[in-house]
Amino acid sequence: MTKYAHAFAVGIQSNLVYRWNFAVRSLFSLSHLVVVFILWGAVFASRASIGDFTFAQTLTYFIVIFFMGFFVGAFNEDYLISEDIRNGLINQFLLKPINYFAYRMSVFAAARVVSGAMGLGALLLALPFFHGYLALPHDYWRIALGIPALALTAVIQFSIAYCFGLLSFWFLEIQGFILLSMAVETVLGGQFFPLDLLPHGVFSVVRFLPFFYQSYFPAAILTGRQGLAFAEQGLVIQALWAVALVSLAEAIWRRGLRHHTAAGG
Amino acid sequence: MGTLPHYLRIWIASARYSLVRATMFRGDLLVWSSVELLWISVNIVMVGVIYSHTSSVAGWSMYEMLVLVGTSMLVQRFLMGFFWSGIFEMGRNVRSGAFDFVLAQPGDPLFMASTRKLELDGLLNSVVAAALVAYSVRKLGLHPGLGDLSLYGCMLACGVVIHYSALVLAMSLSFWITSSQGVEGSYFTLMEFSRLPSKAFKGALSVLFVWVLPVVVVSNAPARTLLYGFQPSWAAGLCAATIAWFAFSVAVFRCGLRRYTSASS
Repeated sequence: MTKYAHAFAVGIQSNLVYRWNFAVRSLFSLSHLVVVFILWGAVFASRASIGDFTFAQTLTYFIVIFFMGFFVGAFNEDYLISEDIRNGLINQFLLKPINYFAYRMSVFAAARVVSGAMGLGALLLALPFFHGYLALPHDYWRIALGIPALALTAVIQFSIAYCFGLLSFWFLEIQGFILLSMAVETVLGGQFFPLDLLPHGVFSVVRFLPFFYQSYFPAAILTGRQGLAFAEQGLVIQALWAVALVSLAEAIWRRGLRHHTAAGG
Repeated sequence: MGTLPHYLRIWIASARYSLVRATMFRGDLLVWSSVELLWISVNIVMVGVIYSHTSSVAGWSMYEMLVLVGTSMLVQRFLMGFFWSGIFEMGRNVRSGAFDFVLAQPGDPLFMASTRKLELDGLLNSVVAAALVAYSVRKLGLHPGLGDLSLYGCMLACGVVIHYSALVLAMSLSFWITSSQGVEGSYFTLMEFSRLPSKAFKGALSVLFVWVLPVVVVSNAPARTLLYGFQPSWAAGLCAATIAWFAFSVAVFRCGLRRYTSASS
């Protein structure tokens, strides 16, 4: 366990080296919230509510999704894993008693601590502008269920990125696959629109997909878009997906290693 | 040397090379074309979901909005197809000194740097974006004449020039700073604004995004021409923005070029 704590500590240090990069990006990415504000402001201009939710509730959902990404989102983990494989850096992990998944997960956690801190900074800057539009519910169970949902979201996000990174065992270039998955995740994760705005039949199918639990689910719990029964059921499905994806990652890793050729002295 | 046929011959040679290269990596072409296609679909799905809950956004109906989204994508696809790779590599080449290679070529450095590669996937998907515009125009019951279509084409070209200028401007920063990382992300964030109707922007946001930064005018001006016919004020605004941005970006590029000290220094 100590070795992963060290990996986490080194991860924090190396991410702090790029703190200004993170800070500038966090600030620039706030413009995405401006797009959301303009678009949904125009959508709500002619009506008080859409799908039983007001403009403030909808904007709160997007703000939570946006800042949640800083804490639990997988940004470039797939790329880092791919680079390890392509450059042969992975070989050093094969010779040591280190679980590569756990190592990468530790580095991912460290990166999210740093990006989360930067995200908090961006949130504090944005708060004066969006303060009047925040409409968060006050049920304590939402916090109690929202926190484990966020933790499981981080596991799902990381596992999916890990699986895509491992594709480098077979493919030289995986950027295309990553962008393909990102498009699917953006829509089915609820980053473009709250998924409860989908037709009921489509929503019933989408809620069983892993993407649903990448962003929408924890945000829906925290912002009051779903009730207690739905949250409890969802948490069970989310946990099952987390286990399934971690197992899939392990299976791909084993399969990939059989395909891998380590060269050099 | 500096004649139009000379540059046309250089461009055709580059295009032929890109075509051969794309057909050599057919799998790559397929994946990247799918990526582009999926992102176009994602935007259409979003418009569909929003309009399933409302009939109008900032006074625009669903098919009018699709004309706008399609137009914005056409501009983006043309930019990515014709110029993206070349300009994007420029920043890296300036840093590494590989820009010497461009300077040694028989033509204007900016032309040589930005037309080195054609991206076939972007150009292929411009057909999809054009089909989206054509379908939406048909659904609206519009029958634009040859004059309207020519004007629309000219305005699209102006939009591509404006986006090209903005990218050149951003990449020219490489002559002064060591890293222009994040330009790609920033560009796509700004592109999000171009898919919004100009009437959705209010107050200071309208001044900034409609008048100061030409992100809204590049898509709204051509789309409005197709929907409502020739509108002199929009056409004049677009032409003025095109000339100003192109002149400014070329001036900054030339200024930066004077600072370039090549790989050997």
